[in-house]
Amino acid sequence: MDTRHQGLTLALILIVGVLTVAPVAMLALGSVSEGLDAFGQFTLAKYASAYTDPGLWQVLGNTAVFVVGSTLLATALALVLAYLNTRTDIPFKFLFGVLAIVPMMIPHVLFSVSWALLANPSNGLMNLALMQVFGLEQGPFNIYSMPGMILVEGLLNMPVAYLIIAPAMASFDVSLEESSRVFGAGTWRTLVRITLPVLRPAILAAFVLGVVRALASYAVPRVLGMPGQVDVLATYLYEMISVGFAPDYGKAAALGMSALALAVVLIWLYRRLTGEGSRFVTISSRGWRPAVVPLGRWRLPLFALVALLSFVVIVLPVAVLLYTSFVPYAMVPGSEAFAQMSLKHWHEVLHDATSLLALRNSLFLAVVGATLGVLLSLFVAYVIVKLRTRGAALLETLTYLSFSFPGIVIGIGFMWFFVQTPLYATVTALLIGYVATYLPYGVRPLASAFVQVHDHLEESSLVCGASHLTTLRRVIAPLLVPGIVSAWILMATMFLRELTLSVVLSRPGSEVLAVQVLSFADDGLWGQLSALGILMIAISTLLVVGAHLLGRRFGARAG
Amino acid sequence: MSTLDRRTLLQLAGAAGLASVLSPAQGAEADLAAARAEGKAVFYANITAVKPIMEAFGKDTGVQGEYTRISSSKFVSTVATEARAGKLLADVVQAPLPVLELLKANGVLAPYRSPAAADYPEWTRPDDTIQLFGIEYVSYLYNTKQVAAADAPKKYEDLADAKWKGRIVMADPATHSSTISWLVGLKEKVFASEGEWTNFVKALAANQPMFVASFGPTPAPIESGEKAIAISMPKYIVTKAPAPLAWGPRGGGQPLLGTPRAMALTAKAPHPAAARAFMDYWLSKKAAGMLAKDVGEYVAAPGVYPPVEGMDQVKVLAIRDLGDAEIQKWGAEFKRIFKG
Repeated sequence: MDTRHQGLTLALILIVGVLTVAPVAMLALGSVSEGLDAFGQFTLAKYASAYTDPGLWQVLGNTAVFVVGSTLLATALALVLAYLNTRTDIPFKFLFGVLAIVPMMIPHVLFSVSWALLANPSNGLMNLALMQVFGLEQGPFNIYSMPGMILVEGLLNMPVAYLIIAPAMASFDVSLEESSRVFGAGTWRTLVRITLPVLRPAILAAFVLGVVRALASYAVPRVLGMPGQVDVLATYLYEMISVGFAPDYGKAAALGMSALALAVVLIWLYRRLTGEGSRFVTISSRGWRPAVVPLGRWRLPLFALVALLSFVVIVLPVAVLLYTSFVPYAMVPGSEAFAQMSLKHWHEVLHDATSLLALRNSLFLAVVGATLGVLLSLFVAYVIVKLRTRGAALLETLTYLSFSFPGIVIGIGFMWFFVQTPLYATVTALLIGYVATYLPYGVRPLASAFVQVHDHLEESSLVCGASHLTTLRRVIAPLLVPGIVSAWILMATMFLRELTLSVVLSRPGSEVLAVQVLSFADDGLWGQLSALGILMIAISTLLVVGAHLLGRRFGARAG
Repeated sequence: MSTLDRRTLLQLAGAAGLASVLSPAQGAEADLAAARAEGKAVFYANITAVKPIMEAFGKDTGVQGEYTRISSSKFVSTVATEARAGKLLADVVQAPLPVLELLKANGVLAPYRSPAAADYPEWTRPDDTIQLFGIEYVSYLYNTKQVAAADAPKKYEDLADAKWKGRIVMADPATHSSTISWLVGLKEKVFASEGEWTNFVKALAANQPMFVASFGPTPAPIESGEKAIAISMPKYIVTKAPAPLAWGPRGGGQPLLGTPRAMALTAKAPHPAAARAFMDYWLSKKAAGMLAKDVGEYVAAPGVYPPVEGMDQVKVLAIRDLGDAEIQKWGAEFKRIFKG
C-alpha cells in the first residue's frame, strides 16, 4: 500500500477524530459516571436504569416503524423524482429542482406545524374542505398519528435522498441500458434489472442517511407525535432529560450508545453491500452522458403526479407560513382573518437586532461551514471509496460518530468539550460543531459520486504525467461537480437552520436563526416565527441558486 | 427592623468599595458609574418576551443588557458546566426557584439583597441570595368565539366535565415540570381532600387532553379553534392580543397557582457592578410594571398587576417548592393516569 495513501488516511482520521470523538467521549464518560451530569465515580447504574424501563420496548418498536417507514417513503419518492428528472422527457423539470430543495429550507418545526394546521382531526383545513365537499361527519385525516408522522418526516427527508440519488442518476452510463434493450428488455425491466442495481450505492447512501436522520429527528415527533401519544426515541429521550430540574444527561447518553451502535452496523452493512466498487462504475470514458427516455402517453399523468407532490410538499406549507406571517394570531382562513392581515410581524422581525444578528451569523456559518465541510468531505470520500486503505472503515465510522448520537444529547457533549477551550461561546465553536456533526451530509453524496468514476481515468492521467493533485483538479473534480454541488447545498441549508447544537452553544453575539425561531416558538409567536421562516427559505434559495450557477460554470469550464 | 433601616443596610450591603462609606444616593451613583465602566450585564433566563425590558435597561442606565434564553431542563447543566470550567458568562441568572436552589448548593450564586425589592412581600426572600419577583401563574384559557362565558368552566372541577372530552390541550403532565407542580399544587391548595383531587385528575385524564411539550404551544390550538380549552398561562391574553382569549376560574374563590420565578447574582460575575445594577433595575417598579403590562407576568411588586381583566381580584399563590425526586415521582404517576 502506498505510504502516501496511508499518510493521508491517518491525517484525515486525526482531523475527523478530533472533530467527532471529543463530544462523544465526553458523553460516554458521563454515561458511566456518577454525579449530576458527568464525570465521577464509575457506575453502570445509568445503563441499568435506562435499559430496564418497561416502556422502552414499545418506544423502540414505534421508533423502528417511524424510521423505516419515513426513510422508505423518502427514498422511494426521491428515486422516482430523480429518475423522472434526469432520465425522462417529463415537462417543467425546474419543478424537480424546487421540490428537491424547498422542504430542506423550511424549519422542521414549522413544516410540522403547517401539517398540523392542514390535517388535524378537529379543524385541519384539508379535513374541513373534504367534510364540506363530501358531506362527511368527520375529517378523514389525523396527522397526530404514526402514518402522519411517517408522511411528514418522509417528505422532509425526501430532498436529502434526492440530492444523493439524482447526481448518480445523472451520470449514468447509457450504454448499459442500451445493451439491455438490444437484448430485448423493455423500459421497466431495464429499470429494475440494470438501472436500479447500478445505482445501489447512491440508494443505500440515501437510505442510511435517512435512517440516521429520522432516528435523530425531534421536531416531527414533538409536534405530531406528542399530541397523538406516539412516543419514539427522540421524544422518549426528551422526556428523560426534561423531567425535573437537574436532568441526568449521562442516562440519556447511555441510551444514545444504542443509536451509535446501530449507526456503526448500518455503515458496516453499507460497506459490505457496496464492497465490490467496480460493479457500480459507470463513468469510464467518453460518451457516458445518459440518454433521455421518452415517457410517451405517461408523460402528462406523471407530470400531474409531480405537480401534485410539489403542491403538497411546497405550496401548501409555504402558503401556510406566508398566511401565518400576516395574520395577528392563529386563525382559520376566512373573511375575518383576511381583514386583519398586516405586515406587523414582518416589521417586528426586520427591526429586531437579535434576529438580524442571527441572520448574519447563520449566513456566515452556512457559506463558510459548508465550504469547509465539503472540502473535508471530498478528501474523506476519496479515501473511503478510491483508496480503500486499511483505516478507511475507521474513518467512515468516525464521520458518523456525532451525527448518529441523538441530537438532543450531542449538543451537551459539545458544550462539555468546548467549555474546556477558548472557543466556547464563539461562532467558531458553532462552525466546528456543525462540520463535525453533519459530515455525513458531505461525505455521502461525494462517496456515491466517487463510486461511479472509474479508476482508469485517474490512472490514465497519472500515466500521462499529471500529479495526484492535478488529476483530482482536472479529471476527477469536474466529474464530481454534481456531487460537490449536492453536498454543498445539503450542508449549507442544514447549517442555515441548525438547531440541535446551536440551542446549547449559542450565547450573546453568537445567536443563530434556528435559536431565534425556537425562541419565537416558545413564546407562541407564530407570526414572527413564520416571517423569519420565510426569510430563511429566501436566503437558502439564493444560496442554492448561487451554488448551482457556480457548479455549472466550473463544470463547463473544466469539461 | 424599620423600613428606613433596612433600606440603608441593603444599599450599604449592595454597594462596593468606596461606595460603602458614602451616602445611599452617592453610593448608588458610584455603583452605576462602575456598572457603566463594565459596559454590560449578561442575563441567563428562561422567562420569555423580555426584550422591551432589556432595551429599557440599556436606555435608562447606559449599561447594555445581554440576554440568553436557556430552557429549564438545560439550565443547571449549562450554568454548572460553565462555572466548573471557570467560564460562567452570566452575571445574573433567572429560573424557577428549585433551579436556583440547586445552583446555590453548587456555590454558583452570590448573596445580594437589592434595595429595589425592599417593599416586596416577605415570601419573595427565601434566603439571603435568591430573590423571587413573580409567579409563573397557571390557569385555563378558552376561545371566546368558541365558548360562551356562561358555558366556560367556572372552577377547576369543571374541567373534568365530560363535555370537554377531546377539547382540552395541555402541556404533557408526565414531563412538563410546571404542569406537574400545578397539579400537585391543586391537591395541596385547592381541593378539600386527596380523594376529591384524585377523582378530578382521573376525570381530567378521561377527557383525553391533547398533549404538547410546554406552555408555549398551548394557546395556538385555542386561537385557531382546534381545541376549546388550554391549561396554560393567562399572560398569553396580553402577548397574543387580539386573539379572542379569556381565562378562568372565576367562581368559588379558587386561587391561581404557579411556580415562583427567582433570580440571583452569580458568585464570580464577570461584571459585578453591572449585575447589581441589572438586578436593581429588574426589580424596580418601572421594570415590574413593564413585565406586567407588556409581558402579562404576575409580579411580586406590590400593587402591580398584569392588564388581564379580573386578575387584581384573584388570589395568586406560589406552589410549594417541589424537588427533583418529587417531580420525577409525580411525573411517573401522571404518566400512568393520563397515558395508561
